[in-house]
Amino acid sequence: MAEGDSRSDRYHLSNTLPVDIDDVAPGMNVLISGPPMSGKRGLVFDLLAPEGVGPDPVVVMTTDDPAERIRTQFDDRGVRIAPDAFRVVDATGAPGDSDSFVHRVSSPADLTGMGVAFTQAVDQMGTPDRLRLGFVSISTLLQYVDAERAFSFLHVLSRRTSAAGYLGVYSIDPTTHEERFVNVVTSIFDAAIEIRETDGDRELRVRGLSDVPSEWTPFPY
Amino acid sequence: MTVSEGGTVLVVDDDREVVRTYRRYLESTYTVREAYDGEDALAELDDDVDVVLLDRLMPGLSGEDVLDRIREEGYDVRVAMVTAIDPDFDIVDMGFDAYVTKPATREELLQTVDDLLTLDQHAVDVREYHSLLVKASALQEGKSTYELEEHPAYADLESRIADLEATLESETDRLTDDSRFVATLRAIDTSAGRGETDG
Repeated sequence: MAEGDSRSDRYHLSNTLPVDIDDVAPGMNVLISGPPMSGKRGLVFDLLAPEGVGPDPVVVMTTDDPAERIRTQFDDRGVRIAPDAFRVVDATGAPGDSDSFVHRVSSPADLTGMGVAFTQAVDQMGTPDRLRLGFVSISTLLQYVDAERAFSFLHVLSRRTSAAGYLGVYSIDPTTHEERFVNVVTSIFDAAIEIRETDGDRELRVRGLSDVPSEWTPFPY
Repeated sequence: MTVSEGGTVLVVDDDREVVRTYRRYLESTYTVREAYDGEDALAELDDDVDVVLLDRLMPGLSGEDVLDRIREEGYDVRVAMVTAIDPDFDIVDMGFDAYVTKPATREELLQTVDDLLTLDQHAVDVREYHSLLVKASALQEGKSTYELEEHPAYADLESRIADLEATLESETDRLTDDSRFVATLRAIDTSAGRGETDG
């Protein structure tokens, strides 16, 4: 989708995924889909700041856990990222201190507010050429706005980051929505990574990347 | 690109000469309404108005006061601030969708209104795109590829989806402009109509 993805512009993923993908093109938007407790959040964070890869500026937009918990979960993975290259758009409406890394929005129903907070976060980081945006989660967003507006918001946000050459990683729990909605929302994304559990073993498959076979692959915890 | 012929523009300025000039610039393309102060502006506003050109400094209610009232009421309308000086403040934070510097030329005014209506149309197109995808998905359920290909409504749907996709993608680059990006989201937020809180 994005133009001019020479090797060096690409977003390196290190060995985050158990399949043969080292990097993705700038401007890509990836959907992570899986049932509750399947480690979607962890995978989103791993794709935002993979181990052993020179970190890009990161914005995490959350409708679900408040900023402080997001920061803790992010840091607990042990990947170092400079404080001025990490921002959280916290749309949970949870009260909190006015931390410089947090941009608060009163509710996930305030789509305009989330957009304003995103532009402020990017602006405060000096409008970098590269950036990885995480969005957790589409499922929570849908508890606050109808499917049509959620879709519209995600479409506009994903196209905005795509036009800037950023990487977007969004999570959804498909078990809590109608299959039809999941199919429709998936079409916004360039690629979808699905997680499932069978008999206690975790598996993953990637759809939408032409050079990667879409087979279920073991993805141990 | 001009998609905007036939919208309704409300021009608000306490200087009648300015209003008259803007009317002259706009009236061959748009339906124009006039207001000479903030109270007037709110009285003239209804769901038919697409764009408000709002003078910032007026006696009585200021442009910002009027904007606040418009947003509180939830009108699905795009608002450009008209100001004598380049704003040294963030129009995105203030809730304006665009700004025009006085004295605005005919070209600037027409361009601003056209941009705002295009952006409105973008929000409408994304919604339409969603609804077509839902329909296509419903048709796909329980049908084989062969059955779908034989289904005339499906082919029509597919081509409308492809057309809309192309239109939406052609607008994508403009979303890197912060005020346009935010204004597009605002158009999505307000599109459900006043007072509606479905979800």
